[in-house]
Amino acid sequence: MALELTVNGVRHSVDVAPETPLLWVVRDQLRLTGTKFSCGIAQCGACTLHIDGRPVRSCSVPISAAAGKSVTTIEGLSPDGTHPVQLAWMELDVPQCGYCQSGMIMSVVALLERHPNPTDAEIDAEVTNACRCSTYHRIRQAIRVAAASISAGGRTL
Amino acid sequence: MSNDNRTGAILSRRGLLLTGAAATGALVIGFWMPQRAQPPIATPEGAAWAVEPATDEVNAWVVVAPDETVTVRIAQTELGQGVWTSNAMMVCEELQCDWSKVRPQYASANRDAKEMAPPWTLNVMGNGANDPAGGGEPQFGTRDRTGLAGIPDSLYRRMRTNAAASVKDGRYYLQLAGAEARERLLLAAAKTWNVPVEEVSSANGIITHGPSGRTTTYGKVAALAAQTPHPNPAQIRIKPPSEWTLMGTEQKNLDVPSKVTGKAVYGIDVHLPGMKWAAVKSCPVYGGKVKAYDFERIRSEPGVISAIQFPIPDPVLIRGRIFGGGVAVIADSWYQAKTAIEKMPIEWDVPPENAARNTANIRAALMVSLDQPGKVGVNVGDCDSAFRSGARIIEATYSVPYLPRARMEPGNATVLVTDDRVDIWIGDQSPQETRRSAAMITGIPETNVYLHMCHLGGGYGRNGNGPQAEQAIYIANLNRGTPIHLLWTREEDFVNTTYRSIGVAKLRAALDRDGWPIAMEVRTATDEQAPGATAGFDVAARYFAPNYRFSTHSGRFHIPVGTRRGVGAPAQHFYRESFMDELARAVGKDPYLYRRELISRTSLPYKADMIEALDIAAEMSGWGTPLPQGTARAIGLEERGAEDGGHATISAQVHTVALSKQGKVRLMCVDVAHDEGFGLVNPLTVKKQIEGQITWFYNDAMHQECNVTEGRIAQSNFDTFSLSRIDEDPPEINIRFFKTGHWLDGMGHDRGTSIPSGIADAVFQITGKRYRDLPLRNHDLTWS
Repeated sequence: MALELTVNGVRHSVDVAPETPLLWVVRDQLRLTGTKFSCGIAQCGACTLHIDGRPVRSCSVPISAAAGKSVTTIEGLSPDGTHPVQLAWMELDVPQCGYCQSGMIMSVVALLERHPNPTDAEIDAEVTNACRCSTYHRIRQAIRVAAASISAGGRTL
Repeated sequence: MSNDNRTGAILSRRGLLLTGAAATGALVIGFWMPQRAQPPIATPEGAAWAVEPATDEVNAWVVVAPDETVTVRIAQTELGQGVWTSNAMMVCEELQCDWSKVRPQYASANRDAKEMAPPWTLNVMGNGANDPAGGGEPQFGTRDRTGLAGIPDSLYRRMRTNAAASVKDGRYYLQLAGAEARERLLLAAAKTWNVPVEEVSSANGIITHGPSGRTTTYGKVAALAAQTPHPNPAQIRIKPPSEWTLMGTEQKNLDVPSKVTGKAVYGIDVHLPGMKWAAVKSCPVYGGKVKAYDFERIRSEPGVISAIQFPIPDPVLIRGRIFGGGVAVIADSWYQAKTAIEKMPIEWDVPPENAARNTANIRAALMVSLDQPGKVGVNVGDCDSAFRSGARIIEATYSVPYLPRARMEPGNATVLVTDDRVDIWIGDQSPQETRRSAAMITGIPETNVYLHMCHLGGGYGRNGNGPQAEQAIYIANLNRGTPIHLLWTREEDFVNTTYRSIGVAKLRAALDRDGWPIAMEVRTATDEQAPGATAGFDVAARYFAPNYRFSTHSGRFHIPVGTRRGVGAPAQHFYRESFMDELARAVGKDPYLYRRELISRTSLPYKADMIEALDIAAEMSGWGTPLPQGTARAIGLEERGAEDGGHATISAQVHTVALSKQGKVRLMCVDVAHDEGFGLVNPLTVKKQIEGQITWFYNDAMHQECNVTEGRIAQSNFDTFSLSRIDEDPPEINIRFFKTGHWLDGMGHDRGTSIPSGIADAVFQITGKRYRDLPLRNHDLTWS
């Protein structure tokens, strides 16, 4: 059965079983491989992307739940890698192995949409993605840099 | 092409269950056969594997294009430790090109199979680990064609990424490679201008003729340089740290832009035309294999093509480690393959002695071994009589669990086998070993094996671990002509990994009336196949006792054990530093000053560095100043190589720990005093490695353990195997470097190893309860 969804502003029609996780549609059908698979049970957050602006763990969201909706992946965050969160990540040199960072960045973008100047407690509560290299120390600093940049007039999503 | 794929699919179905039968040659007819070193797919942006350059290389490490872009070949694998940048920095320090034009790219493991190393890479110059002008003292100094026992003398020498040794082992020849290229670029310019080479110099990729002021660029003379041999490469010298201009500066990692945009290509991201996906199930009890499986039950599931049984991967190919045999299901998409294999009934043939193992009987066996003679590593003085005369005997027994690396990217590999060639896309820490595996499994010579290297989604000690490549090669070899992308589920990644061995230790000390040890005895026990069993205690005691005995003990179990980050050191540092805290507190002395005094009594070559580390960390932390109730400080020494005067990395950390009355631990601050040796290549990467290892070892201290139940690892995903999140990262990390008189022993591990003992001691200070086995979450940490 064909399902329609919009990904990074482009409408797609995909023909997969409706229970297929959104992650695998994005990665296999649409070849947007920036969104990663790691645990498959919505624990780690490596697969985080946005549906209608809200962060979800796409390994555990069936494609049927995204039908007719607007999906944003790391590839759609900015055309040229200059979203304030991406710029902050580069300024702080956050990634180590980098595998979790697409999902981490998508979670942080969503955090900053809800809390433009987040407290430590808000960061702790909403950025629950796992990073095995434990780049958390720079992530927290980069969130501050991104928040300052956005409040100073930098672009948001 | 689609027709050929369909043919392949049909033949694969027919070949179903024929575990030994290779597919027929007919399968490859009409399939595009790649002939060159180039991978048989277009290279996407963000892919890092070797491609044939459009311009002739200057040497095997350096290609300068007419647009001044400098490609630097990297023979280690980027897995977060910064080698992509630090290896390039070592080359470019000497090359003197424009750093903003540098583009790293993985070295070709295929070329490495065909070409010998330039002679100038083979001999380390200088006088070892204490000579700032020399090449250091590589850990894997011996030459070994297979790369297992030492560094091969093939083109790229050491392609393995392990032992935190990429800088230690590769620096001298990477600096030489940059210098050789620079000197040949200068020779080419001098030839062009018809002037003596002594009159030309370069900086930032621009070559200047001093007397005339004429300039040219590397890009303009690179083609000529490629044709200009170095007249006397044996005379090339490398810069000592006092002359560095790029090395020693903080450089952002060159792979980061691709990792914040999702463009970096990991092995899991590889896609080939006609590619099929494989999901696997391996016997969860190591040493077990498939007894039977029922493919008919899933044959008609969507996308399913075939099932292939695979044997226990040949231990010869994976350093003797024994995993399980299993089954792969091949389908059009991985999700289809995974969904189908989960519905397929599989019966296992499990060795009963393995199935009878559990954590309790394994640990009990190790405890018994501690009281048996063991293998004596050090025996100074006469411990037995000292213990008889000691004023006070203190004894403690510690234990640590099995631990996996749990890297974020599950194991995967994409393999295309044709009749005379193997192509493998993989993130791999041992491409030379994987190349050999491919040749052994397919019968195709190593010179026809092409590894297209990808960044790795975490490594943490996984080198040479297998068997992701071996499983994928086996399956692809039975599907010749069809690219097979094998991907493990997270649960399979837990089954198919090696573990840091479970361990126990008994430490005893006899103290004199003033509380100083007159004898110390250390017994440690692990699986006998576990590497690193002597770390931290061998050669000489780090903390002085006139009578000192260290012995290793072991049992033999079926859980495959390997090199998890730090290898033996994290467990042994926990034992050693915990025991120092216990001794100091038992005799009412300050644990910092107690350590300091005992180090000062040794004759260890780097004892001044160890004392300096403790002094700096203590001073940074405000050691001794009051803290609120429920907060405590603990100190620990971390060292790699402190015992023998070679390469070493010395650090000390003070951990400030808060503990709520409900038992919630928070690491508030870590103060780090860290040895920078003669100089760090990229201090930014070092800081990142220290920061990351702090929370890595917080995980070890507080959360992580794997238990064995009926012969299998009980934990299988991140719901039962916890990973710390940002809320457990310490709010404050302070790092201060200090210079020492040796080259460093690496940075990718052995930092933060004092966190488990530090938290345990802080818990003791706050609650009065001393816990000696990890993780601490298993204990009651409440207090009132």
